Amino acid sequence: MMGRLWIDDTTLRDGEQTAGVVFANAEKIQIAKMLSEIGVHQIEVGIPAMGGDEKEAIKAIVDLGLSTSVLAWNRAVISDIDASLDCGVDTIAVSISASDIHIQTKLQRDRQWVLDSIKESVDYAKRHNLYVSVNAEDASRADPEFLIHFAQTAKDYGADRIRYCDTLGILDPFETYWRIKALRDAVDIDIEMHTHNDLGMATPNAIAGIKAGASFVNVTVNGLGERAGNAALEEVVIALKYIEKIDTGIDTSRFRELSEYVARASGRPLPTWKPVVGSNLFIYESEARGSGALVDPKTYEVYPPSEVGLHRLFIIGKHSGPKTVKHKLQEYGLPADSKLAHDLGCEARSLSIKLKRALFDSEVIELYNQIRRSRPDNSSSALPKNNQPSHLETVKGRTNDR
Amino acid sequence: MTDDLCHESIPKSIDGVNRQLNLVDLTLRDGEQTAGVVFAQGEKVRIAKLLDEVGVRFIEVGIPALGKEELRSIEAIANAGLRAKLIAFCRPHVREIQWAAERGVDAVTISISTSDVHLKSKLKKTRKWVLESIVKCIDEARRLGLEATASAEDASRTDVDFLVEYFRTAREAGATRARFCDTLSVLSPFQTYSIVKKLTESVDIDLEMHTHNDFGMATANALAGVRAGANYITVSINGLGERTGNAALEEVVMALKCLHNIDLGIPTNRFRELAEYVAEASGRAIPVWKAIVGDNVFAHESGIHADGVIKNPRNYEIFSPEEVGLTRQLVVGKHSGSHTIIHKFREFGIDLTQSEANDILAMARATAVELKRALFDKELMYIYNDYRRSKT
Repeated sequence: MMGRLWIDDTTLRDGEQTAGVVFANAEKIQIAKMLSEIGVHQIEVGIPAMGGDEKEAIKAIVDLGLSTSVLAWNRAVISDIDASLDCGVDTIAVSISASDIHIQTKLQRDRQWVLDSIKESVDYAKRHNLYVSVNAEDASRADPEFLIHFAQTAKDYGADRIRYCDTLGILDPFETYWRIKALRDAVDIDIEMHTHNDLGMATPNAIAGIKAGASFVNVTVNGLGERAGNAALEEVVIALKYIEKIDTGIDTSRFRELSEYVARASGRPLPTWKPVVGSNLFIYESEARGSGALVDPKTYEVYPPSEVGLHRLFIIGKHSGPKTVKHKLQEYGLPADSKLAHDLGCEARSLSIKLKRALFDSEVIELYNQIRRSRPDNSSSALPKNNQPSHLETVKGRTNDR
Repeated sequence: MTDDLCHESIPKSIDGVNRQLNLVDLTLRDGEQTAGVVFAQGEKVRIAKLLDEVGVRFIEVGIPALGKEELRSIEAIANAGLRAKLIAFCRPHVREIQWAAERGVDAVTISISTSDVHLKSKLKKTRKWVLESIVKCIDEARRLGLEATASAEDASRTDVDFLVEYFRTAREAGATRARFCDTLSVLSPFQTYSIVKKLTESVDIDLEMHTHNDFGMATANALAGVRAGANYITVSINGLGERTGNAALEEVVMALKCLHNIDLGIPTNRFRELAEYVAEASGRAIPVWKAIVGDNVFAHESGIHADGVIKNPRNYEIFSPEEVGLTRQLVVGKHSGSHTIIHKFREFGIDLTQSEANDILAMARATAVELKRALFDKELMYIYNDYRRSKT
């Protein structure tokens, strides 16, 4: 059954390895601090063997003395491990390919060479008192028998865990479950899930691995990572909490803040529809949903927006109707009877179609004023001036994304 | 939520699907329903044509209840002479079905919430009302010569026994399909499998999966439903849809192909083109890392990956870029290795020695760190020129 679960964030390693992404050292330090503050258990901070700036950043993060464990990535080469030792990290990952296609065409070696490299590097690292994860790169395309042999060898030489890498993102959750279960049953060693999103399966595969007995999960903020990216920290943590009822103890209320920071530092803006942290998630335009959420947010929300640092917002557009219009006007303290809400809804839909976007609040108020003016009972000509919604502070700086 | 199944009993493949597997595209309906997104009528017709051209056989084209502009768009698509079956999305109101019929669609999806939370707090109706409404609407659709899908909104939070009753009632009334909506995206693939299995075993009707991506599970859940016997999948281009969106057409098709060897016969090499068109029309740019169609999916920078790809693309690619209308790029940046430099300059017609490549790599890495990004090909040539000059 499920024991303790550890979150291992690799934004600073696999995230930065993304084609085109480079973090400045100050950004790396800031990201490391934030990850530690929200309670991530381990952070993978980089590749010491790259030397230069990379090594400086790793040392600087180690020197922060964070409460989280700090891991460095290595090839199964002694000089890489020496570079890690030089940086003072407490944990290393030793990465080596497990699939025949990688062993033969990329490494141009054989399986025995792989096993020998594991022995040599794990043995060396353990003699230097490091916690060691052996990363089975391309594990999902490896011969399962060889993978067991691989894991057993790592264990025999003292490795603390195995990282199962679905390097190409070729598994689905069911296949992942069966494979991790088989590996777990064959070798008594902790397993970490490392998944990719090439077919849109990174998060469900990571969680399927956990269900099958993996006790570590490797994630990145925003799912940043090679090609289509990795399993996103925020998706995995929230899905575990609300679908699997497993609380990782991580402070999710800072997810939006963390995602915004990494989006800026990586130059990869957050899509408005990004799961968990997208700005569109708690925005209601359509009448069907808006009216439901107005009565009880639970009709359309699994958790409240504050849970991830977002806000609920109603906007008026092509799919809006009288109930959402009425609510929007109430936000500005504007009175509206059903007839007015209905008429304004019709006008708003037409304008929205013409403009090919949802309306800004100022446009809704302008329509309101026009309708009021054109009414015969224009007695209450003292229209509220300087209309300010009561919750303007929370809305400030947010756009309705078009 | 049921999660009591023995995972080992789940079939190892979904090849055993004995009903024809079909896609129902919702880009024009759930896609447009996304807060902030509005398509122009011309864009709607174009998207419908593109979907028809790539062989999507069912297209949900709009919501009659939205009024006259929407009805005109529906009519324009109906007059475009497409082979695909066109579907209008209706609430359980007879007049909406009539409007749909007047505009020339082939079918309607009748959507009713079936969960108690929706019935009590949103609709303020009873289960009995749900059953009566679906029968009444299906009768009307059939009278008008339309096919009808009975959609269960918030099905994933609905009592499974009632869901069975709802679908059974719809089938007896003559519905052609039943739609299972994980409206709030509260299920894992395993939970999805377990519920859908019960439905497909209890009701003999074509079942349609409708999933959302709030937890990043839309595609996985859609396929889990197929594994459990569902044979229609609702999709949208780029996954456009409410909140985090729906299962993406391109992901579902490629996942079926790569994971399960199921080829829906769709020319996937037009995926990037479709994705770009919908991105433009919806004002939602494709993130560079978007699975299947993102710019970055075939961009390799890190030394290990690029070196592997140069030796054999299969080392780091499941399918070739041409298969989805993309191209492979080797990017030179902070994580590059000397093999990439040698390969890159060979493309430019320059043969470098290993030591030249090492020197240029060091300069390129330093530049990338300084600029905080990867280098353009031009910059690489500037670096090369600087290097040559420093050597003379």
